[in-house]
Amino acid sequence: MKKTPLYQHHVDLGARMVEYAGWDMPVQYGGIGEETAAVRNDSGIFDVSHMGEIVVSGKDSASFLDWLLTRKISGKQPNQITYALLANEAGGTVDDLLVYETAPETYFLVVNAANKDKDVQHIESSVGRYREKVGAADISVEDVSDRYGQIAWQGPKVRELAATVLPSLGFSEDAVQAILGLKRFRSYQMPDPDGRVEWIVSRTGYTGEDGFEFYVPAEATTALWQGLIDAGIVPAGLGARDVLRLEAGLPLYGHELGEDISALDAGLTRFVDLEHEFQGQRMAETNRRRLIHLVSESKAIPREHYRVIMDGEAVGEVASGTYSPTLEKGIATAFVDKDLDTAGKQLYLEIRSKQLPFSEVESPFVK
Amino acid sequence: MSELRDDVKYAKSHEWVKVEGDIAVIGLTDYAQDQMGDLVFAEVVPAGTTVAVEDSIGSVESVKMASDVYAPVAGEVVEANDTLEDAPEQINETPYDTWLVKIRLSDPAELDQLLDKEGYAALIAEES
Repeated sequence: MKKTPLYQHHVDLGARMVEYAGWDMPVQYGGIGEETAAVRNDSGIFDVSHMGEIVVSGKDSASFLDWLLTRKISGKQPNQITYALLANEAGGTVDDLLVYETAPETYFLVVNAANKDKDVQHIESSVGRYREKVGAADISVEDVSDRYGQIAWQGPKVRELAATVLPSLGFSEDAVQAILGLKRFRSYQMPDPDGRVEWIVSRTGYTGEDGFEFYVPAEATTALWQGLIDAGIVPAGLGARDVLRLEAGLPLYGHELGEDISALDAGLTRFVDLEHEFQGQRMAETNRRRLIHLVSESKAIPREHYRVIMDGEAVGEVASGTYSPTLEKGIATAFVDKDLDTAGKQLYLEIRSKQLPFSEVESPFVK
Repeated sequence: MSELRDDVKYAKSHEWVKVEGDIAVIGLTDYAQDQMGDLVFAEVVPAGTTVAVEDSIGSVESVKMASDVYAPVAGEVVEANDTLEDAPEQINETPYDTWLVKIRLSDPAELDQLLDKEGYAALIAEES
């Protein structure tokens, strides 16, 4: 199993370790409930070094990525980050990702750990298909995942805390000002003091809260993590990360997205520009289901694969389900047929052969 | 280190059994509650239910996990702990003092199939 640069820190903090996407990762330290609360009310840090990073560069990289992804990245500001999906030719989803422009004609793609190798293959074969389409094209693809560690610092207090914590960790005054001045989905790059890969700091995250993500040289990850721990920031594991993302209505590959689940199925319409030419444009034709959001009306907690019942019939299946410590209720996403009219209907989930009532709500569950 | 008690027997599925006459009192071990994490839901079958060994007698859930609880012995459930529904955290706080159901033993010989403290300690050492 692969270990992040912070593996020993997690063990020393008493984390419960689990295998996730081939990595030995912390699922929780104190408890998922308290870690979730820390991120919702204050702040917490996550080791997300398992995430993959792929660099696509070359003179034709922007036009290639426009064709590869569900929305155009060309024409964006250099420090602007784009969330997009990598669609397969049938319109299903290979992965969802963030694209950073780290230098002219150089794009840094942040992808899911579980999909990274598949993504690299898909992107490389897509380069081939793109060349067949346009002729010679200057594009190179490089997996740089091993060079980076990644820490996500999330919560409503992050910016306030960062103003004092970052200077104490050796960030220059200019860097602190630039980081605190970042708008959402913008990034800042700074040279690594030891001359390794450049640091990238972005105002992004996967919790629905404000915060930053730090992409740092693998060797520098431990010092940054320890500095944040010493500053009293709560470490949070993958358990809390999954709860937070679901409460915030954010998709997780393998649940709301998959090779046979398109971005449109998952309701990610605003991240799909059907007006531009891209691989997987067929997704409009293959869109047959939609994602609904459910809140438990009883103490019952929904889980993946539970069946959705309406008018006594099975009409769908839960994609993700959890207890929400923030709402103190069970919450779930579920897929139903695109044309199923659920308005005004009482929905139920079948849980251990009982039918328990759920209400349909708008996403996100937690604002 | 999980707490183990001398005065109970253990099932491989992590229930403890305390025998009081012909009644088996069933709960979840300290190891089981620790593996689950903070429980946010618990339900058990109602009194009057007849169960065979390894039938589900309830379920417990934490934020991210759901797990069935199994009958370590066969018999009739004569009492179910209804306070768990509103306070499942009792199982985390005092696992050996929080019972789930009481079963009237239909075959006391089944108790011999259960593990003693040493046997259970070896089982959890293997699992973790």
